[in-house]
Amino acid sequence: MMKRFVLPVTLLANLAGPQAMAQGSQGAQGIEVADPVDGFTWPLPAWLPPPAVPEDNPMSAAKVTLGRHLFFDARLSADGSTACSTCHDPALAFNDGRPFSDGVGGARGHRNAQGLANVGYSPRLTWASPVLGSLEAHALVPLFGDAPVEMGNVGQEQALFGRLRADARYRDLFGAAFAERDGEVSLFTLTRALAAFQRTLVSADSPYDRYKYGGDADALSASARRGEELFFSEKAECYHCHQGFNFTDTFATARSGFAESAFHNTGLYDVDGRGSYPAIDQGLYQVSAEPRDRGRFRTPSLRNLAWSAPYFHDGSAATLDEVLDHYAAGGRLVADGPDAGDGSRNPLKNPLVLGIRFTGTERADLLAFLDSLNDPWFVANPAFSDPWPATHPAALARRSALDDAALGHDARPDRIAGLPWLLAGCLFLLSLVALLRARAALPPVSPEPLARDRP
Amino acid sequence: MSFHRCAPALSLAPLILFAFALPVVTSAAHAQTADAADAAGDVPVSLQFAAEIGGEPFACGRSYTGIGRTEGAVAVTDFRLFVSEVVLIDANGQRVPIALDDDGRWQDGQVALLDFENGRDRCDNGTEPVNAQVLGRAPVRDYAGAEFVIGVPFDSNHGDPTLAGSPLNLTSMFWNWRGGYRFLKIDTVPVGRMAQQHGGGHGEAMAHGAAPAGAWMLHLGSTGCTSASRTSAPPGPCAQPNRVRVAFDDFDAATDLLVIDPAALLADSDLGSNVPDTSPGCMSFPGDADCASVLPRAGLAYGDQPGGEQQLVTVRSDAR
Repeated sequence: MMKRFVLPVTLLANLAGPQAMAQGSQGAQGIEVADPVDGFTWPLPAWLPPPAVPEDNPMSAAKVTLGRHLFFDARLSADGSTACSTCHDPALAFNDGRPFSDGVGGARGHRNAQGLANVGYSPRLTWASPVLGSLEAHALVPLFGDAPVEMGNVGQEQALFGRLRADARYRDLFGAAFAERDGEVSLFTLTRALAAFQRTLVSADSPYDRYKYGGDADALSASARRGEELFFSEKAECYHCHQGFNFTDTFATARSGFAESAFHNTGLYDVDGRGSYPAIDQGLYQVSAEPRDRGRFRTPSLRNLAWSAPYFHDGSAATLDEVLDHYAAGGRLVADGPDAGDGSRNPLKNPLVLGIRFTGTERADLLAFLDSLNDPWFVANPAFSDPWPATHPAALARRSALDDAALGHDARPDRIAGLPWLLAGCLFLLSLVALLRARAALPPVSPEPLARDRP
Repeated sequence: MSFHRCAPALSLAPLILFAFALPVVTSAAHAQTADAADAAGDVPVSLQFAAEIGGEPFACGRSYTGIGRTEGAVAVTDFRLFVSEVVLIDANGQRVPIALDDDGRWQDGQVALLDFENGRDRCDNGTEPVNAQVLGRAPVRDYAGAEFVIGVPFDSNHGDPTLAGSPLNLTSMFWNWRGGYRFLKIDTVPVGRMAQQHGGGHGEAMAHGAAPAGAWMLHLGSTGCTSASRTSAPPGPCAQPNRVRVAFDDFDAATDLLVIDPAALLADSDLGSNVPDTSPGCMSFPGDADCASVLPRAGLAYGDQPGGEQQLVTVRSDAR
């Protein structure tokens, strides 16, 4: 995802749509809900409202198909090495499994790529931008951002369009998706199609969803149910920020009257005793320049954590156990090094990060609950898979999150690297295929827990 | 509302004048899509509210001193509440419900959100739009007073807010399925000093030093709700519903303002400290000494104390 690039104008979020009611013409909070065209239907369970959709980008099946091709196309990067999927790999719930993501030419990022599950429900994007409010606007960041470089097209958009126009397959895809624009390849169509595809990336079929919304009382283990009690308790205080369907307080649906967003300092650092985080990334402060915004980041969703390690904005917690250690202590103590300091005493810390007294059982229960938010159907969904043949120029030189050699540096966490993991992954995918096949004929299946497979 | 602007500034405007006054009204203060009596003969009515802190207008960027026993200044980072069960009281003492509008945003026909924070300054985890009024329709009649509840009715109070309609889908007003919504959310933070080193948290978890108690929050919501899990709706009423019933015998919707000010509730509170091992501030939970002096002043029984007269809302006459 993006790093520090801030667009001067939010392209779409400031337009009040028809759902912004008569009293509320306050644009930035307006929720737009464009009706789908060409028979598109949301792949959603009945209980879930669809994401908001900008007026100028109604959902269509053709647009989603085009967006999917673009998402997996490494020709969107200046050197043909990097697709959106390089850092947002569907096999990892659209994460990349490493602390930081790298751009073209070995450019180093300094933020952890976020998963894209339910990204259409996030009215603010990236880790700490108060203004980046649409996926259409956001697409420009990885495509053209230069601080840091991600896909490296800054100043080279015509070359980018040329690469796409040269592929006969795109002539059909753009033509079908944007007939009213004669199938033009442009910033408009590129960003709209990418956004439309991403709005379909809905994860709502985890064991917890089946338990909570699907009425399947057996979908959660007793441990996970105890973990849910703890999660929603005043003892753990988790749910104050990790709220609602997507377990974050930055959230909006087509049914919302308001786009909610929130940023919190959780006491990961306090390098100067006055609240500062390491200078490389002070979160919201980098945009607002407001000293009290140091260390404030957007609350990430807790869905699909099995695939999103390492955790936090800088990937500084390798495991969920480390994350729980952080919250148990009410902040993280960094004993030495340049980032030394006691985050629990960060004066800018959210006051609800108080510290938690876990018993061993409670910790296991909480992990079991978080595990129940993993959605293997989302990871295996064929609608989200790479549409390109491996030998096609779109995929030929494409780096992958699972391809260690392509990245060269920045060793991934041990639990992901290596043959054992790959074997486990193959077995897992095979079992998923089996489950998917069985699913049509059987009552809802409670999939095997996944998070704890990865010690 | 239009007819109110035209009505004589008496203690009570006979709403019957409305039908005659309407044709000459040109400066409706509150946009109404239907300014005339509807098929049932009901006409628009609005209640206007204001938020204050210790008698001073509430603003997100402002510091307030002299709140209760607080030594330093505080800033207020949130100020929102739900209003429901709104009725007018006629000259005979009969209570006549106001049918609340459903605008898809502030009101859903049953519940209205009053939202005084504008998402700026220290309220920047909030939302930009503000709303200081409750809009609805009522029969044409002489009215002498008004009554409403700060809270969400039980039947609407215990679902998933992200699946509800607006305004009940605000995660910031959400508590949990079992307890329902926060009926009132007024959050404060100390200003101008590092947060104090005492009273911050939940015990030994602060293994390397007490966390600062960076905030004092006043949240009203139902407690003592019994359900199968924290995310299940309780089948029966909660032991402490904690809905604040506000009633004024002498209130003129045309001219009077309803002022919401938590300072009277906080008269014995120190917003710079928090009783250890309790929520920061008063979040309505039983057994929190920070609530002991607060809830009774909101008219709510707490522990073995009965509820007194509510002191959260007052009427300011001829202030509109």
